[in-house]
Amino acid sequence: MAERQPILRMVQIDKKFPGVHALDRVDFDLEQGEVHVLLGENGAGKSTLMKVLSGSLPPDGGRIFVDGQEVHGLSPERARHLGIGMVYQELSLVPALSVAENIFLGKPQRTRLGTIDWPRIYREAERSLADLGVAIDPKREVRRLDVAEQQLTEIARVLTARPRIVLLDEPTSALSDAERERLFALIRRLRERGVGLVYISHRLAEVPMIGQRVTVMRDGRVVGSLPVPQADEPTLVNLMVGRRLNEQYPKQRTVPGRRLLRLEKVGVPGKLREVSLELREGEILGVFGLMGAGQPELARAIFGMERIHSGRVWIDEREVRLRNPTDAIRHGMGLLTRDRRQGLVPALPVAPNISLANISQLPLPSPLRLRAENRVAAEYVRSLRIQCPRPKRPVMYLSGGNQQKVLLARWLASRARVLLFDEPTRGIDVGSKAEVFALMNRLTGSGVGILMISSEMPEILAMADRILVMRGGRVTAELAAGQATQEQLLRWAS
Amino acid sequence: MSPSARRPAPAAPEPGSEPGAGQRAYGVVRELIGRLGPVFALVVLGAYLSIASPHFLKTSNLVNITRQSAITAILAVGQTLVILTSGIDLSVGAIAALSSSAAAVLMTQRFSLLGLQVGPASFAAGLLAALVIGALAGALNGLIVTRGRIPDFIATLGTLTIFQGIALIITGGLPVPSHTTATELKGYLPKQMIWMGAGDLGGIPIAGLVALLAVVFGWLLLRYSVLGRMVYAVGGNREAARVSGINVERTKIAVYLLSGLIAALAGFVLAGRMNSANALMGSEENLRSIAAVVIGGTNLFGGEGGVIGSLIGAIIMGELANGLNLLNVSAFWQRIVQGLVIILVVVFDQWRRRRFAA
Repeated sequence: MAERQPILRMVQIDKKFPGVHALDRVDFDLEQGEVHVLLGENGAGKSTLMKVLSGSLPPDGGRIFVDGQEVHGLSPERARHLGIGMVYQELSLVPALSVAENIFLGKPQRTRLGTIDWPRIYREAERSLADLGVAIDPKREVRRLDVAEQQLTEIARVLTARPRIVLLDEPTSALSDAERERLFALIRRLRERGVGLVYISHRLAEVPMIGQRVTVMRDGRVVGSLPVPQADEPTLVNLMVGRRLNEQYPKQRTVPGRRLLRLEKVGVPGKLREVSLELREGEILGVFGLMGAGQPELARAIFGMERIHSGRVWIDEREVRLRNPTDAIRHGMGLLTRDRRQGLVPALPVAPNISLANISQLPLPSPLRLRAENRVAAEYVRSLRIQCPRPKRPVMYLSGGNQQKVLLARWLASRARVLLFDEPTRGIDVGSKAEVFALMNRLTGSGVGILMISSEMPEILAMADRILVMRGGRVTAELAAGQATQEQLLRWAS
Repeated sequence: MSPSARRPAPAAPEPGSEPGAGQRAYGVVRELIGRLGPVFALVVLGAYLSIASPHFLKTSNLVNITRQSAITAILAVGQTLVILTSGIDLSVGAIAALSSSAAAVLMTQRFSLLGLQVGPASFAAGLLAALVIGALAGALNGLIVTRGRIPDFIATLGTLTIFQGIALIITGGLPVPSHTTATELKGYLPKQMIWMGAGDLGGIPIAGLVALLAVVFGWLLLRYSVLGRMVYAVGGNREAARVSGINVERTKIAVYLLSGLIAALAGFVLAGRMNSANALMGSEENLRSIAAVVIGGTNLFGGEGGVIGSLIGAIIMGELANGLNLLNVSAFWQRIVQGLVIILVVVFDQWRRRRFAA
């Protein structure tokens, strides 16, 4: 084989976050005209590695070579200059600007007089979109595009800089099959031009469709790197999931008891359409859907934070009208918000954060029972193993996993019997995840019912007793645990 | 109000790391500097003034400072509650003027009510009336902010003018009672009221004691009551407060009501000190109370701070005004110096927060 020098080589890249070893001495390389697929579950370190490469996250250790030259102090500027283009998973477009303005954001084409050359911007934007095989009017505002069109605009933007190394972070998650085909055709054309592409995905089926080489990451480490012809699906699944599946999800089955919560044809204009569900004691009801399918709105509606326009809600077989979270909490509910920052009061210490849902039910002039509050907090700090060196320290200084445990403790302390968990393991480290799952078992064991919203298929498949799949604000399927598969989830969700 | 200004989020420490002895000592120093920032300013200013003027430390002068600071300190208690919920009450001075003007009219004039001649009202009735008017005015602020869904700043800017207007109508634009000019509003304020503003108890000004009482009330409320906890939660993270079941609107209304009530008390003391009330008498105090709170280290975005700091802030303001008088600085220049001190203290406070965070 010819001595081909990789255009990109990353050696022993290391990165630590509080509580997580995000990248553990990772080696990675990319050749000209190659699509290198990077596989792994959420939190495996794929996105972190790409952020290091695109210069937006400095590594703690390791070396990066582009064209055999070592690169020091990589910044986003520098990365662009070196020909590295990154298509982010989260869109980074400005909604109020036009497609063309977004594509040329930060690199305006000027006329000789120094004014912006609008005709040229529109012409070139149109051409680069046509390259992608899509017909989007470059003058349209980005916020009027659907998610797929935005994704393609984002890709077009990166490609106008003519990068030699392209990083694609889950580019197909919002695309239809036809759009995906067009994207793949474009990727093949880029390869012919000698561009190297790193393609991040967690869809196994895409590996043979587009890649030449595949590297699998797990818990911040590279656990395998092999040519695509040798990478059949069982091998990849084994690498991705490892033996951890059973250890990480210690699901204990319980016999569902009485009905705790029932929704019948609940509708919220523009967000939820005729959602019906029921949740029983000791049960975990999973809710799965792609982005924007209405899962957070469902939790918020049940918790009294979205006005329910039509339909009915029962708690303990009694019909209720929930006007605000205060009502919901009084009826024994608790909501773990998707974004921890929505739930915590950052400047307050652990104990007041835990007791907040209890205190909110008391009349304003009542005295605080500080001693009891501290005792209860100390119990939860011990039993949930919340790491907080000083009890008076504001919670903003705790790690993500510990903050999440503080929020969990709040609902344990309020003795909620219906818990709504919106992405309960989002952004927390593997150890904390396992503890959250163990706690969910303990809760269901004591008769609590949990509605678990999650976009992580392995976790929802392992933990839920039943799974509702949502799309466009509707429930499209109800699947029984043990029978559902990732493919089924995705089919009903898209 | 950008979220980044409200929520400084430094990198979390490595979990589970036990602080060593050196780290702990540093922690103590940090905490002292953190807590005592305003006290530090107070002491430095006091030390300078006692060197610069031989009269500064005399008992009579200290009593004077207490009297001057008392009104601001009382108002600052209510203001602290409001600012802690990330609101602001520009109308406290106007409420003080309105309630005490109305009370002064009640306590000095005779009215015909259902054909009966009543009044002048007693001291107790006058005080009660002032407090009720203050509470109502404050509740109105709260309702406008929450039900009207408009920024606190605008709502209380509007009511500031409205309350002044009402007070002008009640008093006809004259001091009540008028000792020199008009013929209509004659009479004398109850002696208890004058005692509250100008009297003393064993050498300690009553106004200062009232201020101390208000501060203790505010401190107990913030530290040991459910409302106090809700105040910190609403100001620290409104969304989290809501998700935890706290009725944010009710909390805000309660806080504005208390601010109005406390403002009425301040107005009563102020009128007692001046032996007369008038419609525009508290107009300087609207901003002075806010300055006292901010100098005292309470975060203008809410959620952090307390009334002890505000008390110190009020004393710093009084100390400064007094000191500048002793040093024969002209009244015009005094304003400039006061403005500069407010800015400098807060600049220092911000620096201290960044440098010695938590």
